[in-house]
Amino acid sequence: MSASPNGGLGQRFAELFPFDWETIRHAGAEPVPFHLKKWWFCLGGTPMYLFIVQVATGIMLTFYYVPSPDHAYASVDAITTQIRFGWFIRSIHMWSSNFMIVAVILHMLRVFFTRAYRQPRQLNWMVGFMLLGLTMTFGFTGYSLVYEQLSYWGATVATNLANAVPVVGPLIAYFMRGGAEIGPQTLTRFYMLHIGVLPLLAFGLLSLHVLLIRMHGVTELQFEGEEPPEERRFFRFWPEHVTTELMIGVLLMYLLTILALIFPASLGAPADPTVTPAHIKPEWYFYWDFRLLQLTSLKVSVLLTGLLGGIAFFWPFIDGWLERRSKNVDLIVVVVGVVAFLGFLGLTIWEAVAY
Amino acid sequence: MTLNMKRFIVAGLSFLFLAALLVVAYQESKQHRIEEGLEPVVTALNKGCVDCHATDTASLVMEWKRSEHGIYGVGCIDCHGAEEGEIDSWMHEGVRISVLVTPKDCAECHVREYEEFARSHHARAGEIIMSLDNVLALKAAGMPGNVADAVNGCWQCHGTIIKFLRDENGELLRSGKENRPMIDPDTWPNSGMGRFNPDGSRGSCHACHSRHSFSTEISRRPENCGKCHMGPDHPQIEIYNESKHGIAFYASTEHMALDTKGDWVLGRDYGAAPTCATCHISSYMTPQGVMVGNSHEVGERISWTLRPKVSNLINLVTYTDGFKEDYPESRDLPAIGDVVPTVEKAAENFELVTRTVDRTVASITTWQDRRLKMKGACLSCHNDHFVDNFYQQFDSLVTLYNEKFGIPAKEMMDELIADGIIKASAPFEKHVQWIYWELWHHEGRRARHGASMMGPDYTHWHGMYEVAKHYYDKFLPAVIEAAEETSPALGRKWQRKVTALLAQPEHVWVSGLSPEEAAAMANEYAQRYNQ
Repeated sequence: MSASPNGGLGQRFAELFPFDWETIRHAGAEPVPFHLKKWWFCLGGTPMYLFIVQVATGIMLTFYYVPSPDHAYASVDAITTQIRFGWFIRSIHMWSSNFMIVAVILHMLRVFFTRAYRQPRQLNWMVGFMLLGLTMTFGFTGYSLVYEQLSYWGATVATNLANAVPVVGPLIAYFMRGGAEIGPQTLTRFYMLHIGVLPLLAFGLLSLHVLLIRMHGVTELQFEGEEPPEERRFFRFWPEHVTTELMIGVLLMYLLTILALIFPASLGAPADPTVTPAHIKPEWYFYWDFRLLQLTSLKVSVLLTGLLGGIAFFWPFIDGWLERRSKNVDLIVVVVGVVAFLGFLGLTIWEAVAY
Repeated sequence: MTLNMKRFIVAGLSFLFLAALLVVAYQESKQHRIEEGLEPVVTALNKGCVDCHATDTASLVMEWKRSEHGIYGVGCIDCHGAEEGEIDSWMHEGVRISVLVTPKDCAECHVREYEEFARSHHARAGEIIMSLDNVLALKAAGMPGNVADAVNGCWQCHGTIIKFLRDENGELLRSGKENRPMIDPDTWPNSGMGRFNPDGSRGSCHACHSRHSFSTEISRRPENCGKCHMGPDHPQIEIYNESKHGIAFYASTEHMALDTKGDWVLGRDYGAAPTCATCHISSYMTPQGVMVGNSHEVGERISWTLRPKVSNLINLVTYTDGFKEDYPESRDLPAIGDVVPTVEKAAENFELVTRTVDRTVASITTWQDRRLKMKGACLSCHNDHFVDNFYQQFDSLVTLYNEKFGIPAKEMMDELIADGIIKASAPFEKHVQWIYWELWHHEGRRARHGASMMGPDYTHWHGMYEVAKHYYDKFLPAVIEAAEETSPALGRKWQRKVTALLAQPEHVWVSGLSPEEAAAMANEYAQRYNQ
């Protein structure tokens, strides 16, 4: 919308807020490759949508949550059992967080197997990988805030893991705990991370992620039997692609609501620092790493996690390195991806059934 | 590789991911159910038992699965496991087990409860074997070689000595391919409160905590006690059901928090009504905090004994070894530290024996102290004026029974024995003995128990009315009849004694009301019913 030439309210607003709305119009008219009409190319927008859900429900939860060891559990209990619709908001928040991790993983699967991370998009893969880490950290810190037995002891194990990271580990662990041991400071820190630091980081990285996509453009892929690049069709970001994403959003809301109704967020026994539970488990997305920890040692598992994370983080460059040395790099990438993902699934299931 | 092929790979991996998440969800849900107590924990030790018995004795396993024991992984072998040498044990599927689970087995975990119960009044319920009640079951109702009435009746509540079938050489008889020892069917199945077990322990925890659910909720419900505390001679459950307490319980059962884990405290966990357990054993709130009940000693708060021919206020003497003895108020109390002879009953070589044991007095709880403990529960709902006045009402009823009927009838029966009219060794030879038996053992108890638990109908119509009616109409005539049967002189003596008795102020009403009383009564019926 540009300033109205005939004066009136439009012109006054344009004077008060001299923003060039053409920029938005131009950005919204960005042509999108036709292959994004395929469902598996819409997964990138899903975590973004879920992030908005998380921000909205998270803000509502902070109205009632009390971030102190003496009151945290009771306030979650009150949200779940006493405050009108509290259980629903909490359940949506919980399910949405899980969906977000699933969506990010599925999005990364698609990007990995289509090798959409290649030059010049290496940086965006790395930003995306950081967003994955951020999403998992969101999940971990959020779960710890519940302050039930398992979440408390899950946090204890996690800070022990952090402590085992070479060189900077003890410093990170000390920072997370707010001291040498888990204490009253830990909950406050996790709370501040969860509602302050992480959202800011996520907002920044998401913006960068989207900006990089817009700057590079969406990877154009050549499907078998489709028209050659010069004849490719495009459709508009606004309103076509946005409405597709909104439809997915509506479907997600249906799913989240159904899950919240059928499997509402539960609440275990309150945290008791003096009683170690028989079975300590982190959230499912850390199962693979927890299994590694039990298969090896604290040090080895931390190093192995760092190594695997490093490989994944720098994979676009490894891909480039392989491409220069092999003609079958496409196949190698697929094999590596399948093996790595099956390994992740295998370790996850192993940990799940190993009670 | 083509993009379409990659699409299928991504789709395949996505489905595998979904499958993995479902496995995780299933496992987490299962673990959650275990932690929430909705799923049992079957340990490796018990898995074999559960697998077979889930079909062999399906209901039993179902009950166990929903029990606290199941939830905490306390399973079959933990309770039924036995050591070699235990008379009731045998090898079953490679494991030595016993079918009998005794309080001593439960004491592996529940030590405090075992010790409380072992010295409780309940644990001595099996001593009925030497009482008149048992004589009636064995002799009056039974016959030589057939004690079925005692087996199916008395012993099911009171317990008996568990015995084993043996051959002519005294060797244990065994059955089946596993050589299971054969328990005498006259003695088991039996879950009597005072059962004498082969391992020397007494009772059966199952009497209150029904197997295999072992529910504390059941043991807190009045119906649970009603299995034994009912009927013509001790109708506590009927009295409770008639009382305001019982009415409140059944009207507000959902507010009773009967499934409370651990201590169940009146005034903290519930307040809708008291049950048997509330008044007799459970904890209650006081202004000073929780008064912790002695959860397995039922007699601690009882100040009257309402069972004998004549009621007594009872003090409680506790000895250094935990043995307890009720001392009627009329019996001189020893001093703390005194060594006194005590009489105890025990099973030796599968027979009940009485022995005298010297014991040192550790503490004395007077009947007033016992009453104060009971009043503490009352005060959770009533004020002290209410409670004190109730006890005056109750005391006066017991005194009335004692003074008007209990003591005179007992004195007459003692004198009939002294006169040779009846024999102590033949307690049911004469008509008067049967009448007297029911007078105190049935009707007299009903009246006293009725008053103790606020059951007006049991106090009067099932109690004192029956006592009075049978005293005047059956007992006194039967006394004269028995005396006349013995000799004309004794007949005349007892005729004179009864005539003199009826001339006493409390009995003169039988000869006729005063003209004013008779006129008032006639007027009442005329006004109310026009009759």
